[in-house]
Amino acid sequence: MSFVATIGRIFLSFLASLGRLTIFAGLSASHIVRPPYYPRLLLRQIIEIGYYSLPVIGLTAVFTGMVLALQSYTGFARFNAEGAVATVVVLSITRELAPVLTGLMVAGRIGAAMAAEIGTMRVTEQIDALSTLATNPYKYLIAPRLLAALIMLPCCVLIADIIGVFGGYLVAVHKLGFNPAIYLKNSWQFLELVDVVSGLVKAGVFGFLIALMGCYHGFHSKGGAQGVGSATTNAVVSASILILGCNYLITEAFFSR
Amino acid sequence: MNEHPVKISLRGLTKSFGKKHVLRNLDLDIFQGDSVAIIGPSGTGKSVLLKNIVGIQTPDSGSIKIDSEEVVGLTGNARDRVNRNLGMLFQGAALFDSLPLWENVSFGLMSAQGLSRSDARQKAIERLQQVGLDAGNADRFPADISAGAQKRVGLARAIATKPEILFFDEPTTGIDPVMGDVINKLIVKCVKELGATALTITHDMESARRIADKVAMMHAGKIVWVGDVDKIDDSGNEIVDQFIHGRLDSHISNARLGTSAA
Ligand SMILES: Nc1ncnc2c1ncn2[C@@H]1O[C@H](COP(=O)(O)OP(=O)(O)OP(=O)(O)O)[C@@H](O)[C@H]1O
Ligand SMILES: [Mg+2]
Repeated sequence: MSFVATIGRIFLSFLASLGRLTIFAGLSASHIVRPPYYPRLLLRQIIEIGYYSLPVIGLTAVFTGMVLALQSYTGFARFNAEGAVATVVVLSITRELAPVLTGLMVAGRIGAAMAAEIGTMRVTEQIDALSTLATNPYKYLIAPRLLAALIMLPCCVLIADIIGVFGGYLVAVHKLGFNPAIYLKNSWQFLELVDVVSGLVKAGVFGFLIALMGCYHGFHSKGGAQGVGSATTNAVVSASILILGCNYLITEAFFSR
Repeated sequence: MNEHPVKISLRGLTKSFGKKHVLRNLDLDIFQGDSVAIIGPSGTGKSVLLKNIVGIQTPDSGSIKIDSEEVVGLTGNARDRVNRNLGMLFQGAALFDSLPLWENVSFGLMSAQGLSRSDARQKAIERLQQVGLDAGNADRFPADISAGAQKRVGLARAIATKPEILFFDEPTTGIDPVMGDVINKLIVKCVKELGATALTITHDMESARRIADKVAMMHAGKIVWVGDVDKIDDSGNEIVDQFIHGRLDSHISNARLGTSAA
């Protein structure tokens, strides 16, 4: 009996946090569209999320493309289908690997930073100070971060697409002896617009989720340095799981028929 | 009794955190132009009281009127409009550590009053000088200055928009007596210059005597005594006597640990 009660309690508290999160997301999103706006803060976040993440994203993409070419070559060589390597690389990168790996890397970098910064502001009463200065913390802190992540993640993923395909090209041409012109032609030939677009849609959703988790956990952190620490961990873990889950849902929405 | 109108009126204020009852049916009137000090032992809920008045926390029940307007339950733009007339110095200063000192000071001027950055910077430097920090500090960051200086910057930020009501949460706690004295003098000066109504929380009697013209004693979630600051030594109230003579017998120290009966 008490076992059932425990499960019930866990389920109810799960629903309660889901409700809180939904309210938080709705409130923050409404502040994105309502004035006043803070263009300086938005620009700062855009630079932080887009520009400073580029090295990490570039390295992740190039190695992923390289290893993908190598592995798929090994597989396809067993039934003389080496020509498919280019297509497999470009489709895997644009549809799945660039958005998901970029999302996970940015979750580690940006989601954690947001949770730590906002969490510290919460426990040192800086967020309270904002409201005594007649400034809405949702508008000032959360909205610019959500919007910047929503805009910048697709840009980052587009760059990751290009770098990832280039990584595959490097290995195929210089290590596996493919003809450069034919490899490029094979890459283009079977690539459709929807492959790239689906990846960018994923990126936008992931960006929103990363910033939402970072801000939500930071905003509700309690009790000093330890609270900020666990907010940071929760932000990264929950964003990563949401990214993987939503990735499946979006893929299914785009490609299952 | 007092010819000035009531600026802040608190009635039946109650606030609990779980089973912990912090404010219990608290009543207090603060008249326009008065400088009131709320004294009381640590942990009686003085900071909670302030946070409820400025809208950071919402009371469980009771009424808070500022200029005869009910402010409990106000949110969004309505709350911001009320808060534009308030300035608050936080117990830990609560400066924005991602912004240089001048942007901290002029935050309200830029965000609420829409001043341009160059004008705001000029104003901020004036305010910093008003609290005894020279212009060379304008571009430093909060983490690079001492706690005493942080309180001064917090004070400059609180007075920057020339609010009608000022709140000071333990302005002299955690800094040396000399600097504490400087802060006390600054507060008196700023309140006088602005003609503001001021509410100061403190458990430092020296500070209360210097800053305030009225004193309210808070104990176990209620205001148990209010009177002029020069009457405090013969208040006739047992709790006030105990507090100002530093005799924290079991009566008060129980409340301090939050163990007194509900
Ligand atoms: N957000 C909160 N959640 C739970 N309990 C709280 C919260 N804020 C304050 N309390 C509790 O309320 C009580 C009063 O706290 P408060 O900070 O108002 O004390 P204080 O009178 O300002 O003391 P001090 O002089 O030390 O600053 C404390 O026991 C504290 O534990
Ligand atoms: Mg306090």
